[in-house]
Amino acid sequence: MKNFLYFIRESLRIIRLNKLSNLFSFLGTTLILFLLALVVGIWSISSQLTEMLRNEAEINAYFNRNIADPEELLSLVGQIDGVREVRLVDKEEARMRMERILGEEADILDLFDENPFEAYIEVKIHLDRMDSVFSQISLLNGIDYVRENREVLEQIEGVTKALEVLGYLVIAAVSITTLIIISHMIRQGVYQNREHIRTLILLGAPDNFINFPYILLGFLLTFGGGIAATVLINIIINQGYGRLGGILPFIPMPPKNQLVYGLSVFLLAVSAALGILGSLFGVSTSKRKN
Amino acid sequence: MIKASNVSLKYSDGTIALRDVNLRIDPGEFVYIVGPSGSGKTSLLKLLMGIEFPSSGSLYVMDQPIVKSEIKNIRKLRRNIGPVFQEFRLIPGRTALENVLTGMRFLDIPKRQMINNAKEALAKVGLEHKALLMVDKLSYGEAQRVAIARALARKPALILADEPTGNLDYNNAINIMNLMYTLKDRNTTVLITTHATHLISNYGNATIIRVEEGRVRVEHRGEQS
Repeated sequence: MKNFLYFIRESLRIIRLNKLSNLFSFLGTTLILFLLALVVGIWSISSQLTEMLRNEAEINAYFNRNIADPEELLSLVGQIDGVREVRLVDKEEARMRMERILGEEADILDLFDENPFEAYIEVKIHLDRMDSVFSQISLLNGIDYVRENREVLEQIEGVTKALEVLGYLVIAAVSITTLIIISHMIRQGVYQNREHIRTLILLGAPDNFINFPYILLGFLLTFGGGIAATVLINIIINQGYGRLGGILPFIPMPPKNQLVYGLSVFLLAVSAALGILGSLFGVSTSKRKN
Repeated sequence: MIKASNVSLKYSDGTIALRDVNLRIDPGEFVYIVGPSGSGKTSLLKLLMGIEFPSSGSLYVMDQPIVKSEIKNIRKLRRNIGPVFQEFRLIPGRTALENVLTGMRFLDIPKRQMINNAKEALAKVGLEHKALLMVDKLSYGEAQRVAIARALARKPALILADEPTGNLDYNNAINIMNLMYTLKDRNTTVLITTHATHLISNYGNATIIRVEEGRVRVEHRGEQS
């Protein structure tokens, strides 16, 4: 710890030695991390949407009118593996649901003398067990017809998976790019200070002592980029969150503060880790004489 | 302290810098290495620092074999050596004090003692009033004295000084030689290469080693402290 201030001073000296190059590295890192935060933010919102829809994944089972006790059927369905929740939707509730969907057009239902809707069993399921639950319910005695919304769910699932893959690709691209930028910058610093480093080696300084200012430099620049990207993403979210909710009201947005906090912690942690890794890579690949 | 048996040094361009060197330097010995330019004096110091390695023969410095495969241990050995380089090797953009401190930062010396050592060493070479000046602003002679202070402040067991008075006027050169000579009293081994043979006649107890065309001969064996 006796050298802590010395290491900070050395790192700042190396930054000053190459002001323009380090400034561009800082700006580049900031923009890359900002891009990462955007993708992760979108990914997070879409994951929440998918998760919500997953929880809404359901099968509607219509049963024979002659069945005396639908509760017995309900109990049988409830025992099937993959079923989360079962309830009976009677004719009146089915009509009310349709009225809600039709809104102002619901008057059309008054044209019917009798309630045209039938009671059915609403089965909330685990999405990944849909096939098995579907076939098992279909085979139950008294079940006439089973309806599922698999197509919509699969499409949303597909989009989320694509976003997930895109997210991983962006994370990989950001990591590789940041590592290359930082390690290149460190190697440049090592090269420019080669005589200084040579002197330290001849005086017997250990590698840790020689390398630490460069590792600190990479950390400071990348973490600084992380902080700047965090500020940017905070501004963007604060400005755009309300508007997005207005334009796309059907998308369930996570609470703003939760998203901001999560992204900030993520960006700061990633930038710190990438800074240290990039510097270590840069230092370890620099050539020096013993 | 130093033991060389049949040591030769041949550079990659084929130049033979040292031939069959046999040498024994004891702890506390004060040694002048004299000889004309290009005779091999600096090459001998480079070998002792582990900057170069013997092409043949065996060399030990403080029981550490000087061979390439031992480079990690040689770097540790250097922490016990106070080197004064011919080209000074001061770190530009830092003060004289900071340069002297840099030589100690990675040694096991508490911070307060490190600062005291640095100030004391700068005072010994007559530069206490320039401690906070950037080394870039110092004259050649002053920069050389900062390099000497850096070596002294570490309080090493062995000082290897390559032409430490090369850029000094007569009075400063005498002062530096006197200062180096006093290190005998604390059992520090000192090896100094020099052209200035007129300076060495004052030190009767010094060992004088002459290097000519790569051959090393002990001309006068001094008393140990």
